[in-house]
Amino acid sequence: MALIDVVNLSKAFGPKVVLSNVNLQVQEGESLVVLGGSGTGKTVLLRNIMGLLTPDSGHVAVEGKIIAQLSREELFNVRQSIGMCFQMAALFDSMTVFENVAFGLRRHMKATEAEIGARVEECLTMVGMKGTDKLKPAELSGGMKRRVGFARAIALKPKILLFDEPTTGLDPVMTDVIGRVILDLKEELGVTTITITHDLKSAFEIADRIALLFRGECIACEKPSEFKVNPHPVIQQFLRGDADGPFLQDPPPPKRKIQEAHS
Amino acid sequence: MVLTVFDKVGAAVLKGTDTFGDFAVLAGRTFAAIFKRPFDIKNLLNQFQSVGVNSIPVVVLTSLAVSMVFAVQLAFGFKQFQAEGLASQVEGLAIMRELAPVITGLMLSGRIGSAMAAELGTMQVTEQIDALECLATDPVHYLFVPRLLASMLVVPLLTVVSVYVGFWGGYLILVGVEGQSAYVYGNEFYKLLAFRDLRIAIYKAFVFGMIIALVGCWKGYRTQGGAEGVGNAPTSSVVTSSLWILISDFFLTKLLLV
Repeated sequence: MALIDVVNLSKAFGPKVVLSNVNLQVQEGESLVVLGGSGTGKTVLLRNIMGLLTPDSGHVAVEGKIIAQLSREELFNVRQSIGMCFQMAALFDSMTVFENVAFGLRRHMKATEAEIGARVEECLTMVGMKGTDKLKPAELSGGMKRRVGFARAIALKPKILLFDEPTTGLDPVMTDVIGRVILDLKEELGVTTITITHDLKSAFEIADRIALLFRGECIACEKPSEFKVNPHPVIQQFLRGDADGPFLQDPPPPKRKIQEAHS
Repeated sequence: MVLTVFDKVGAAVLKGTDTFGDFAVLAGRTFAAIFKRPFDIKNLLNQFQSVGVNSIPVVVLTSLAVSMVFAVQLAFGFKQFQAEGLASQVEGLAIMRELAPVITGLMLSGRIGSAMAAELGTMQVTEQIDALECLATDPVHYLFVPRLLASMLVVPLLTVVSVYVGFWGGYLILVGVEGQSAYVYGNEFYKLLAFRDLRIAIYKAFVFGMIIALVGCWKGYRTQGGAEGVGNAPTSSVVTSSLWILISDFFLTKLLLV
């Protein structure tokens, strides 16, 4: 049985269909990377897995439990086994780094302050943020915030980690740092991960399988080596990073045509 | 034409019912969550600090100003009938029954209700409330409950402070300016009052505290649309809670004076 099972998942916001009959299975210990253009429903997929959104049809099951059918208490129990890393970190800005990472521990574990302190330090060390525990989120850079977000997500020792565009808006060096941190976490903790990213370099490093969402549908879900040579024109265009092709519904005109029109 | 009007009226009624239903459900969830574990004492004390202690200067200054203005009006009005002695009695009655709870409620809806809406609204648009959910923490339990408890306890206490300050505001005008005897003022201020009046003022303040916290949290929790939404949430919270304070004041007065 797959650890995460997405079955015929569909979700629309008003007339806009964001996900349409998406099927994905993620096995225990596996690392799935979800690629796709902006607005193709990648974040909506993660939010359905976390139970932050309810599917219009289909379902998401985590460890065999259908998320949309759980009571609030049951859902909170499932969520304790999932760590979610938000796109912009979503750190609690009224709290220090220490309090952010300790939040879940204080709420859900009967541990002493010394034990909590030790676990927070361990988590911050794992993401390369040791010594920042007294800082407030406002004092951190974008990359540091993401890493503190990772530390908060792993504090409760989850079985599953979800990363929502962890490298968006970061410089190439910091993007590589974040990619390495995710890789280290995956190897050290042995967790199952789903990562949404636009960064192909880290995607191929992290992934056991890569899925591509296109206009709300999952058009491929395969090993990185197979994904690279998949002849589907959308996949090849995405890998090339080219504006011309079927990927965009309304692509901009080629630059040379604009120049010709003006001359 | 007629159908369009019916459409519009129907849509407005549906929207109003939907909005009220949403508020009622969230309010119900908040009351149900009061007794749920874990009890976050630190969070509660922080709310007492921001809702209560930090609001004392605002309540003192507005109560002083309103009671002084009211005393000036009363002194002027009763002078027309050579009944200056009644001014202190009416001052006491008005402050205890109406001015203290309503002014405190309105000021706190502006100070703490708007702050709650802005804080929760910011948390909503920056995904901090989603982060709470993902950390298996009910936002209603973690965010609403301490604010509601602090508000329900603090607004009555600040109303008592407001009555006390109102006494001295009237004293400054009626004794200090109008030349009434301090001893007479002290006695006359309480002459028309009974313990029931203090009880009514505290009941009213308790309800106003509930309205301020629930509306503030609800408006913040339902914030949408980035910076514009966060900007609108406090305004909407103050307008809604002020309106409900004044409307409920009428019904509470009718009910409690029977």
